[in-house]
Amino acid sequence: MNEIIIGIDLGTTNSEVAIIENGQVLVIADNNRKILPSFVGIDDQGDILVGESARNQYLVYPERTVKSIKRLMGQDTQVNLAGHAYAPQEISAIILKRLKAIAEQYLDQPVAKAVITVPAYFSDAQRQATREAGEIAGLEVVRMINEPTAAALAYGGNQVEQKRMLVYDLGGGTFDVSVVNIEAGVVEVLSSHGDNQLGGDDFDQQIIEHILDHLQETQGIDLRQHSKALARITRAAENAKFVLSDEPYARIEEEYLLEHEGAAIHLSLELSRSDYEEMIEDYINATIDAVHIAMKGAKLTPADIDEILLVGGSTRTPCIRERLYNEFGFEPHSEVDPDLCVAMGAAIQAAMIGGQEVNAVLVDVTPYTYGTSAIGFLNDDYYPFTFVPIIHKNTALPNRKTEAFVTNHDGQEVVNVTVYQGEDPDALNNIKIGEFLVEGLQDVEAGNVITLTLALDLNGMLHVSAQEKATGLEKSITIKNALSRFEQGALDTARGRINKLFGQVEEVSAVDIIDAPEIVEARKLIAKAEALFDKTSNEDKEDMIDLIEDINSCIEGGLDDKLQEYVAKLADIVYYLES
Amino acid sequence: MKTPYEILEVAELATDNEIKQAYLQKVKLNPPDRDNEKFQQIHSAYEAIKNVTSREKYALFNYPEADFDALLDQAFSAVQPSIISADYFDKLLLASIDDKTLLTGNHEKTTA
Repeated sequence: MNEIIIGIDLGTTNSEVAIIENGQVLVIADNNRKILPSFVGIDDQGDILVGESARNQYLVYPERTVKSIKRLMGQDTQVNLAGHAYAPQEISAIILKRLKAIAEQYLDQPVAKAVITVPAYFSDAQRQATREAGEIAGLEVVRMINEPTAAALAYGGNQVEQKRMLVYDLGGGTFDVSVVNIEAGVVEVLSSHGDNQLGGDDFDQQIIEHILDHLQETQGIDLRQHSKALARITRAAENAKFVLSDEPYARIEEEYLLEHEGAAIHLSLELSRSDYEEMIEDYINATIDAVHIAMKGAKLTPADIDEILLVGGSTRTPCIRERLYNEFGFEPHSEVDPDLCVAMGAAIQAAMIGGQEVNAVLVDVTPYTYGTSAIGFLNDDYYPFTFVPIIHKNTALPNRKTEAFVTNHDGQEVVNVTVYQGEDPDALNNIKIGEFLVEGLQDVEAGNVITLTLALDLNGMLHVSAQEKATGLEKSITIKNALSRFEQGALDTARGRINKLFGQVEEVSAVDIIDAPEIVEARKLIAKAEALFDKTSNEDKEDMIDLIEDINSCIEGGLDDKLQEYVAKLADIVYYLES
Repeated sequence: MKTPYEILEVAELATDNEIKQAYLQKVKLNPPDRDNEKFQQIHSAYEAIKNVTSREKYALFNYPEADFDALLDQAFSAVQPSIISADYFDKLLLASIDDKTLLTGNHEKTTA
């Protein structure tokens, strides 16, 4: 039996884990939920909470809960969780560990390897941090693939006809756009662009600011320092955003936000979709600009695009569809589940790496240009930091390029090699991602040849080496952001720390909770209904999904009367569809 | 060194689409995951000859012994310079290379 490699979508807001089972992609559900909110918390018993429970706790104990940790990945920072400081890698590792456990429980065997998706526009440091999070969670990250590419793979793997697709991926914290060609079983990314700090969280923030301003004006109170009230406002803003996806107006109501000078403060406010769209217009414009850049990178015009694939929950914002319609003249594709397709693509790639036969082969590109600086001319003037691009953006991965440079003065013994990421002809305007010295060069005249090799691997990570041509003297590094790097020892310590957190939980959950017979029956019915999803009309499917959600909340809340009612309704639909 | 045409196993007069299909077939058989080097070789071969512009560029810059000035003069004095095929370039190159021994060696290698 092949060793199982799981596919993981580690999102800003939600995460999922998927596998290939009997040739079919399966997103594994935990308690009937395929989506695990990317929330981590520690409850008042000191136990760790991941997912829905942590998300719920956020309202009551925001200081014991962490959300949207992905936005901090790759930064040298720590977050506070119930009085302890954790690196972003550690918080992400907790989510990964939970996903790993969900997969292990389903498969009934240990899992040690994973393919994890990352935004295409994730930098080297962000990718490195993601890999470290995997290691802390006890997962070997066999490959990181780009999220829009994973979505294209999930959607396009079985396409027979040639298709050119634009993948517009707007998640909770990141935005990517990729132009993809699908032909003859090859899913080939032609270009990618994006913004690794733009997402639905920013939309929420706009609404939050709007609410805070409103409270300031009407009640004369600034709630920015009240973490609990702020957490409730955050949730209310998020809910309003969801409502505005379908409705022209949203009411925002929160009672007893807090007591101020003896009086209770209530929040009641109406937000129109048009006001909301005005708030987020700059962000949407930025994404459309990125679409143009990606199209230019692929050397295509809108008429060359056959389909638009929307990925990420934030693409439910109606004005995004409108704007894309205006650009391309047709509606985006909506058959694919924007929340699940990334995890599905990860599972397909995982199966392929594991040696299973799959229909599609993936060719991806780097969205960044990498190069070094040298003495040269900038705007016709002598300039010591001219940017010399070595690997250009939209180059297929993996890639290895070598450039020759010469020493500048006689007897030069040291060369300082700096590697930059960016497009600006002035290297100092680009992002410096690494630097090293090649020392002990021969004592010769100026003109000693030094070759610099940049290699991008399939994970989009950069390896750099420099060599003195005459002697073969070599120096090489793998670029890691020196600031966020975890040494191996630190990784082990982190793993121990996280394991300990989970150990406390395992003791508690070791006691088996036996479900009441009606709950067992309800779960069986849900499984039956889900098996019918592929064969039913969207309308029936939506009805079933609503009922399943109702049933799940009844099970959680222990509402037995209501449960029977919903179960009966769902059973009717299932009976009708099966007959 | 194999030429891009040899790597993709296409004729020098193959159309864009023939070259593309050959490339996709090769990629399907040699995914980047299985053999990095092989994939890179296939991909660079495709980049080198995927359209008329790149084929002309390849033809021009991969005969290092050619007299480029003479070659360009001839190319631009041609009636329809935009439809110069790799094959026509080959002929122009043969005509413009002085050293006959070098020429034979090169020519055999590239058309083998």
